[in-house]
Amino acid sequence: MAPSRTLHVRCTTWEQVETFHTRKLRRGKLLSMKVPFAATLGSSVTLGLELPNEVVIAIDGTVRKSSPIEGDTKTWIEVELHGFTDEVVARIRAMAAGVEPVPAEPDAPPERPSKVALASEQLPVDERQLFHHLTTELRRMRQAAVHEVLGVERDADADQIRLGWMTLVRKLHPDLVARRKAPAITHLAEELTILVNRAYDRLRAALVAEGRANVVGSVVRPPPGWLVGFDDLASGAGSDPARRRAQKAVVTIPPVNEAAPSAVGAQGSGGQGGEAFETRARTMLQEGDPDTAQEVLAAALVVYPRSKPLRSLYYVASAVSALGKGEIMLATSQLEAALAHYEGCSEAARLLEHVRQHGQTDREALRRVFQ
Amino acid sequence: MSDRTPAVGIDLGTSNSVVAVIDKDGSPRILTTSEGSMTLPSLVWYSPDGPVVGEAARDGLDHSPELTIFGAKRLLGRRFDHPEIRRLSRLLPYELTEAPNGDTWIALASGKQVSPEEVCGRVLFELRRMAEAHFGGPVTRAVITIPAWYDAAQRQATKDAAQIAGISVMRLLSEPTAAALGHGAHRGVDRNYLVCDLGGGTFDVAAVDVEGGTFEVLATTGDQFLGGDDVDRLVVEHLLRDVKNTIGFDITSDTLAIERLRLAAQKAKHELSTDASTTLVVSDLLQLPSGKSVGYSKPIQRSELEQWAARFIQRIEAPINEALARAGRRKEAIQDTLLVGGMTRMPAVVREIQRVLGKEPKMVDNPEEVVAVGAALEVARLEGRIEGILLIDVAARGLLVSTGQSDCELVIAQSAVVPTREHRVFATRQEDQPRVEFDVWEGESPESEKNRHLGRFAVVDLPPAPAGDVLVLVELTLDTDGTVRLSASELVSGERMQLEQVFHSGLARADVARLARQLAEAT
Ligand SMILES: Nc1ncnc2c1ncn2[C@@H]1O[C@H](COP(=O)(O)OP(=O)(O)OP(=O)(O)O)[C@@H](O)[C@H]1O
Ligand SMILES: [Mg+2]
Repeated sequence: MAPSRTLHVRCTTWEQVETFHTRKLRRGKLLSMKVPFAATLGSSVTLGLELPNEVVIAIDGTVRKSSPIEGDTKTWIEVELHGFTDEVVARIRAMAAGVEPVPAEPDAPPERPSKVALASEQLPVDERQLFHHLTTELRRMRQAAVHEVLGVERDADADQIRLGWMTLVRKLHPDLVARRKAPAITHLAEELTILVNRAYDRLRAALVAEGRANVVGSVVRPPPGWLVGFDDLASGAGSDPARRRAQKAVVTIPPVNEAAPSAVGAQGSGGQGGEAFETRARTMLQEGDPDTAQEVLAAALVVYPRSKPLRSLYYVASAVSALGKGEIMLATSQLEAALAHYEGCSEAARLLEHVRQHGQTDREALRRVFQ
Repeated sequence: MSDRTPAVGIDLGTSNSVVAVIDKDGSPRILTTSEGSMTLPSLVWYSPDGPVVGEAARDGLDHSPELTIFGAKRLLGRRFDHPEIRRLSRLLPYELTEAPNGDTWIALASGKQVSPEEVCGRVLFELRRMAEAHFGGPVTRAVITIPAWYDAAQRQATKDAAQIAGISVMRLLSEPTAAALGHGAHRGVDRNYLVCDLGGGTFDVAAVDVEGGTFEVLATTGDQFLGGDDVDRLVVEHLLRDVKNTIGFDITSDTLAIERLRLAAQKAKHELSTDASTTLVVSDLLQLPSGKSVGYSKPIQRSELEQWAARFIQRIEAPINEALARAGRRKEAIQDTLLVGGMTRMPAVVREIQRVLGKEPKMVDNPEEVVAVGAALEVARLEGRIEGILLIDVAARGLLVSTGQSDCELVIAQSAVVPTREHRVFATRQEDQPRVEFDVWEGESPESEKNRHLGRFAVVDLPPAPAGDVLVLVELTLDTDGTVRLSASELVSGERMQLEQVFHSGLARADVARLARQLAEAT
């Protein structure tokens, strides 16, 4: 059986979404487009519709017509998107309504997190005490998950993240301790500030990617490997660059036997759905095929964007793949990310422990981890 | 102790430079040139008697424009093959040339070539002398302002120019942030600012939030080749045609005449900011073979100037919109727009900014000096003489790396808060591979042609081992100045590794040191 394909359509404005729905689709369900692969009639296709809030909705479809284009590797296909149910349309509408700009009073100050004064005075005055304090902080933060660095809850919202970051920067910024004219202390302050800024950038990018905020601070486009959101999924992070470029428009997803439910992502943290994907990915990981597992999980995340187990497993898969290439640092950070997304990810915890003890892994070790 | 010597704030401008200090009582003071002027024209005339800087170099513009370098700041840290440099090189009265490493240099008629760093170094040296005259003692440290969109090569070039002038840079501060600081934004109520700085050569836009003494720069954009000089050139283009029609001379290849026309056009432009009409006069535009000189005069309406400058005005909107987009801001959320830079005195510029933002912008009291005042405040802040202010900036561009022919891979994102650090791990591909080379780029694109090449680096002296066994961890740090630092270590052992620069843009360290020595000895 030919593998099922995913088409990626990106809409950067809600108008584009509207246009896509009303103009591009015939009878609300038929989509014709040129694709860079030969599509067999009746094969299934998933449309990954990326919305302006960076949420990707997966819509199932079946190829109804397919005609190769003369002298081109491309094919014209017509897909019936049976997954584009009224429910899905309603969900998109709701999201669009949610971000409609609320006209603010022209001169009203925007909402801000409650005030934090410059707090560098709170640091110990005595230089040796300060040095000790900063060193301890640095040691702690180096091991902490990003939200712990900022001292916020795992599911903190935009305001809490900003406040956490601001509070720390106003205390630790190297400029504020520079006047003490002790290079060692300025250096420590810079190291701490780097950790704090990195944590902030990751958390705010994650919030935006998960569709929980429009923008936090400024708009930041995270590089691949930043372990957040869909950007890295859609661009196939971890795959080699040449392949990534070739795939820009189309991500191939191997067949998933379990019937994917309609594209409404489950909310909440309890039964988040997608267990079938999880099981499948685990098997692949156990069999030493992290790359396929990653693709399966990426596909699953399109359907269940809020599933923490799936997301964390995605990072585990990318860690396993990194381990295969000997990139231990990368693997470690991916595993940390897995745990940051979902503490209950026992594979991540076990693998991390293993990596920390032995550095390398082998097939046998992996099999034990995913048992 | 060098730490005890006073430090100054410097606005190194495309057309004018300013140096300021904060007095003991906390009030800002603009230092003056020996002629008593608060601004020093950023001009260097390589006269037969040696280089002349500032006001005195204006004579050079009149007599030997091919030896009189204005606007060198536009050339700092720029590759010669940059399309805007190509365009400029056709328009400038002096000649541009390509340095062996691809940088833009200036070819003087004497056959000598000078780097823009050296030219700017001379301007900075003059500013340093003004400061030393004020303090009556050596001045060796400064905060220097730069356009917000400067890339790492331009930042490094600025630092090199300073070093040539014997100045160590305490901090490079972005001009719009300096303007917000100089405007005293920290003293007022908390606000969301948009700073628009339109000067002689560059347009800078920054979205800055001020809250409880903290300046948070959300986004900085700009047009690197948009400034008053462009208006002057547009006017000159029209005048050339007019000269031909009215007095019958084609002076398109007469650099001296064009330069005189440009100066007159600039003067007329200034007058038309306050008056509705003026008359442009060039008493001796050119000399006939008989020795008789031909003059030219033309009445100009403000509306005419605005028509000629339309192409210039049109380019104001895009950087503003981009700054808003990057800051994730709607224009309604901007509470104050600060206008900075000499060109914002032109009414059409103010109108355009008002049109784009739908709100009346605020002209700061001293648009030409406010940036230097900000720089001086930054000095005082870094020295701990004023408290309660913190500046937080973001990366103006992304930082990428690539190896061999591979795509560029984004390592540090645009708008990441600085200082920040990210790493990449490189593995050896062959047995006993002695070194790993990689390139560092600035930009956003996976395609290297679209990015700015910062340099090629090599981690050398790798221990002999089978392929893939040596893992090199390269860390890229973007510091508070926006300058890039690199370090390399062996991943498993954590041991530091030797990092070599194979290729780099800008001057070599040894050349900078040599030029600094030469300048110090010559005076
Ligand atoms: N009254 C005026 N009306 C119009 N333009 C003016 C006026 N005064 C100065 N300018 C123009 O402003 C420009 C110089 O501004 P400014 O001194 O702020 O620039 P700069 O700081 O040297 O340049 P940059 O900031 O781009 O490096 C010149 O193009 C000058 O012609
Ligand atoms: Mg300026």
